[in-house]
Amino acid sequence: MSMPALILVLLAGGALAWLAQRASDELPRWVALATVIGALALLYYMAVELPAGSLALASDPRQAPSWPLYLKLDWIPRFGIALEFGMDGLSLLLLALTLLLGLIAIASSWTEIDFKPGLFQANLLWTLAGVCGVFLALDLFLFFLFWELMLLPMYLLIAVWGHENRAYAAMKFFIFTQASGLLMLLAIVLLAWRGASAGNGVSFSYLDLLGLELDPRLAWFAMLGFFLAFTVKLPAFPLHTWLPDAHTQAPTAGSVLLAGILLKTGAYGLLRFCIPLFPEASATFAPVAMSLGVAGILYGALLAFAQTDCKRLVAYSSVSHMGFVLLGLYAWNHLALQGAVVQMLAHGLSTAALFMVAGALQQRLHTRDMRAMGGLWHQAPRMGAATMFFVLASLGLPGLGGFVAEFLVLAGLFAVQPWFAAAAALGLITAVIYALWLLQQTFQGAPDERRQMADFGVREMLAMGLMMIALLWLGLYPQPALDLAQPVLDGLHDSALQPPAAPLAAAGSAP
Amino acid sequence: MNAADFQALLPLLVLSGGAVLLMLQIAFVRGVNRSAALATLTLVLAALSCASAVEQAPRQVTPLLVMDAFALLFCAVFCLAAAVTVLLSGDYISYHGDEPEEYFLLLVLSTLGACVLVSANHVASLVLGLELLSVSLYALIAYPNKSILPLEAAIKYLVLSGTASATTLFGFALLYAATGTLAFDALGEQLTATATGRPMLLLAGAMVFAGLGFKFSLVPFHLWTPDVYHGAPAPVTGFLASVSKAAVFLVLLRLFLDADLFRYRILVELTGLIAILSMLAGNLLALLQTNIKRMLAYSSIAHMGYLLLVFMVCIERDNRGLAVEAAAYYLIAYIATIIAAFGLLTLVSARQVEREDVQLQHVSGLFWRQPLLACLLLVALLSLVGVPLTAGFIAKFYLVVAAVDGSNWVLLGALIVGSAIGIYYYMRVIYYMSRKPEQQVSQAAPADGLAVRVLSGALIVIILLLGTVPQPLMAYIRSIL
Amino acid sequence: MTDAVTSLWPFLVYVVAVLLLVATMLGLSFVLGQRRANRATNMPFESGVLSVGSPQIHIAVEFYLVAIFFVIFDLETVFIFAWAVAFFELGWEGFIAVLVFIAILAVALVYELSTGALDWGVKTRAGAPRPESRQPQEEQH
Repeated sequence: MSMPALILVLLAGGALAWLAQRASDELPRWVALATVIGALALLYYMAVELPAGSLALASDPRQAPSWPLYLKLDWIPRFGIALEFGMDGLSLLLLALTLLLGLIAIASSWTEIDFKPGLFQANLLWTLAGVCGVFLALDLFLFFLFWELMLLPMYLLIAVWGHENRAYAAMKFFIFTQASGLLMLLAIVLLAWRGASAGNGVSFSYLDLLGLELDPRLAWFAMLGFFLAFTVKLPAFPLHTWLPDAHTQAPTAGSVLLAGILLKTGAYGLLRFCIPLFPEASATFAPVAMSLGVAGILYGALLAFAQTDCKRLVAYSSVSHMGFVLLGLYAWNHLALQGAVVQMLAHGLSTAALFMVAGALQQRLHTRDMRAMGGLWHQAPRMGAATMFFVLASLGLPGLGGFVAEFLVLAGLFAVQPWFAAAAALGLITAVIYALWLLQQTFQGAPDERRQMADFGVREMLAMGLMMIALLWLGLYPQPALDLAQPVLDGLHDSALQPPAAPLAAAGSAP
Repeated sequence: MNAADFQALLPLLVLSGGAVLLMLQIAFVRGVNRSAALATLTLVLAALSCASAVEQAPRQVTPLLVMDAFALLFCAVFCLAAAVTVLLSGDYISYHGDEPEEYFLLLVLSTLGACVLVSANHVASLVLGLELLSVSLYALIAYPNKSILPLEAAIKYLVLSGTASATTLFGFALLYAATGTLAFDALGEQLTATATGRPMLLLAGAMVFAGLGFKFSLVPFHLWTPDVYHGAPAPVTGFLASVSKAAVFLVLLRLFLDADLFRYRILVELTGLIAILSMLAGNLLALLQTNIKRMLAYSSIAHMGYLLLVFMVCIERDNRGLAVEAAAYYLIAYIATIIAAFGLLTLVSARQVEREDVQLQHVSGLFWRQPLLACLLLVALLSLVGVPLTAGFIAKFYLVVAAVDGSNWVLLGALIVGSAIGIYYYMRVIYYMSRKPEQQVSQAAPADGLAVRVLSGALIVIILLLGTVPQPLMAYIRSIL
Repeated sequence: MTDAVTSLWPFLVYVVAVLLLVATMLGLSFVLGQRRANRATNMPFESGVLSVGSPQIHIAVEFYLVAIFFVIFDLETVFIFAWAVAFFELGWEGFIAVLVFIAILAVALVYELSTGALDWGVKTRAGAPRPESRQPQEEQH
C-alpha cells in the first residue's frame, strides 16, 4: 500500500496547502515543503524495507513476483482494469529525482508567488503526484490516467502564474500533450482489445500485454500512438514546438518541474512501454527515431545558440539533450540504455538548476533578455559560480553527470549505428557553444554599475548545492545508479522476445 | 390493464398526476416557490417510483410502451436531471418572473414526453412522446423570459422542429405503407420478409432518420442549434441539450435495434458519414465562438456525433451489447455534465440584465470570485474534454472501446481529431475563469445560497464518481441489457 | 405498390380530372379574355360594392385565443366519440379511462378560467398583477 500512499500523500498535501492559504500566505509553502519531505521519507522507507537484494535481481517484468514492490487492486473489472502499481530500480531512481526536484521547485518559488500561493503549491504538489503515478502505474489505463492528470495542474501553473504570453503557451502545451495522449489512449485500447481476442479476457495490465503476439500492421500503428505521445512529451524534433513557449512562460517552479521531471515521463514511457510492448515494430522504426534524435540534438543546439531569451535558450538545450535520450533508447543495447537513464537524471538536475538561475535573474532584473544582462558576476558571484557549474554540467564536462551519460549513449550507439553516433557527437561541440554563450552573455563582460542585484541567498545556495552534489555523484561514481537501473534494463531488454534487429542483438550482449 | 401494469407504468403516472396537480395549484394558489417545490417533489417521486416499477420489468404495457429496466433507468435519470434543473433555475426564474409558475409545469410535461419516448416501442407512442417533448419545449424556450432573443429562438425551434416532426411522420407513413404495422418488432419482422434495398423503404428510413436527426442536431440538420441554444433561457437549454437529445437518441436506437434496421447498410453508413461530419463541423465551428452557450451548442453537435458512432458498431450483431452499453453510459455521463455546465450558466446569468448572453468575459476570474461554481464549470468542461477521473473520460473511453471492437477506424480517427480540436475551446473557457482579478470586468453577482451550493457540490461529486468508480453503473447497465 | 395503384385508380383519375378542369378554365379565360387597363380594373371586386377603409383591422387577440381553445376542446371531443362507438366493448375499463380523460380536460378548463384566459378585455389574474409584469403584456396587444 506504500505506493498509492506516496501519491495520496502528495495529493492530500496539495489540498492541505490550498486550505492553508486561509491562515496565511506563508503557510502553504511550509506545508508543501513538509509534504515533499514526507514523501521523500516514505520513498526512503519503501526502498529500505524492500527485501534485501530484490533490486539487484535481473527481473522478468512479465512476472509479478519479480517486481520488488507490487500491488494490484481491482478497479473496473468490467474491462480488466486494476489499480496496479509496481516499483523497481528504475522507478525508484526516477521517483527520487521527482521528489528531489519537487523540493527544488518549492525552494525556487519561495518568494516568487504573490497571487494565491496556496493554490500554486497545491498545483505543484498535484503535478508531482501525477508524475509519481506515471512512474508507478503498471496498468496501462491507470498509466494513461496519471499521464493526463499531471497535465492539468501544470496547465494551471502556466496559465495562472506564468509570464506575459501565458495563455498561448499554456494552451499549446495542453493541446499538444492532450491530443497525442488521445492517440495513446487509442493505441492502449487497441492493444488491450487484441490481447483479449487472443483469449483470457480483457486486461490492461502491463504484465499481461508484454510480449503479446500482434499483427505487424496493428503493432505498427499502436506503436506509433505510443511513440507520438511520448515524443511530444520528450520532446523530439519536430514535435518540440510547445516546449520553448511553455518553459519560457511558466513560473520558475513550473519550468523546473517541466524540464526536470515531465520530460522524463516521455523517456520513461518509451523505455518502459513503447519499445518493450512492440519490439519488432520499434526495431523497424528505430532508424527513423534515431534520425529524429540526431536532428533534435543538432537543431536544438542550433536554435539554442540563436536565442536572446535565456529561458528559451535553456529550453532549446533541453531539446538537444533529450535527443541523446531518444538515441540511447532506440540503440537498445545495455550501454546506450544505461546512458539514456543517466542522461535523464543528469539533464533533470542540470536543466532544473539552469531554469532556477534564469528564474532568479528574471525575478531580480525583470527581463529574460540576455542582451540587457552582462557582467553580472561582479554583482552576484555566488550566482555566477553556480551558473558556471551547471553550464559545464550541461555541456558535458567530464566528472559531471552529463558526460557519463553522453559517453555511454555514444559508445552504445557506435556499436550499432556508427554514422548516427558520429552525427550525434557533433552535439557535444554545439553544446559547448550555446552553453558558454549563455554564461558569457549573462555573467561575463563589463558590469553595468547602475544595476543593483541581490546574490543568491542561503535557501537558493542550498538548493543549488544539493543539485551540485547529485551531479558530481552521478559524474564521479555513477555505479550505484547504474546498479539500480541495470537489472530493470536487462529485464526489459530480454523481455522483448526477439531483439529488435540482428546487428543490435550482437551489440546488445557485449556491454 | 392490471395492477402489475400500473406498477410498471408508475413513473409515467406519477409525472402525469404531478402535472395535473401543478396545474390546479397554479390555478388556485400561485407562487414560484410552491410550484418549484411541487415540481421537484413530483420529479423525485417519479424517479423513486422507477425503483418500484423495475420489479415488473420487462413488461409490455399496452402495445405502445415497454417498461424494461433500460427504459426505467433513463426515466429515473431524466426525472433527476429535470429536478436538478428545477432547483438550479429557481433564482433565475423568480428574479425576472412574470408569473413564471408554468415553467415548472412545462418542464414536468416535457420530462414526461422524454420518459414516454424512451419506453416507446411503437410508432404511435414514439410520436406521442416526441410531440409532448417538443411542444413543451417550444413554450419553455419562450416562456420564462419575454424578450426578443428567446422569442426568436422559440419561433425558430417551432418552425424547424415542426418540419422535422412532419418529415418523421411521413417516413413512418411510408414504412406503414410498406409493412402494414407500426410496432417496432413487427416492423422488423415485416421488413425481413420484404426485399431489402427497396427505394421506398430506404426513403422512409432516411426520412425518419432525418427528422430525428434534426431533433438531436446532427450536421446537415444542425443549423437551428446555436441560435436556439443561444436564445433559450440557460436552464431550458441545459434540459434541451441533455434530456431531450438523450431521449430522441434512445428511441432511435431502440427503433433500429427492435426493427433491425442495421441490415440496411446504406442507411447505417449514412449515419457513419453524418457522425463524422457532426464531429468535425461541430468542433470546428465551436472554435469560432466567444459566447459560451453557442460554444456549448456546437460542442453538443460534436458530442452527438461521437455518440452516433455506436450505430456503425451495431452493424455486427456480436458487438451490439457493448455498443448499447457504451451509449447508455455515455448518455448518463453526458446528461450529468451538460446539466452541470448549463446549471452554472444559469447561476451566472441569473441576475444579469441581458441574461441569454453569456460571453467569455462573464466567467472571467470566476475562480477567484466563486470557487465552488468555478469548480463546477471546471469539472463539467474537463468532462467534456474527456480528462481522466471525470465522467466524460470513461464515456469516451467506452466509445473508443466500442469502436475498436467494431473496427471503425475512420470514425475513430474523426473522434480523435474532433476531440483534439475540442480541447482548445474548452480550455479557453478555463483560461478565462482563471484570469487574475484585475483583468475582469465588473458584473452582476451570480446566484448563491445553500441550495445552490449543495447542488453544485452534488453535481461535482456525481461527475467525479462516474469517472472514478464507474464499475457499479457499468455492471448495472450490463445486467439489464 | 401495384395493389395500391389498382385500388386507388379512380381517385387518381379524379385528381387528374380536377386538375384538367381547372387548367382548362384558367387557360381559356387567359386566351379568350379581354385585357383592359382602366381605372377600376385593379380594384377588389366585392359584388359591385365599393370597398371602404383599410382591410387591416385590429382584431382583439382574444378572438385568436378563443379560436384556439375551440380547436383544442373540439378535437378532444373526437376522442370521446371514439370511446362512445366502442362503449360496450370497452366496459368499465374504458369508462374509467374516459373519466380520467374528462377530468384532465376539466382541470385544464379550471386552469384557463382562473388564469383569466377566458376573460375578455382587462385580465384579472389570480396572482396579484405586478406593475413591471404588466408592461410586456401591454406591448403585445
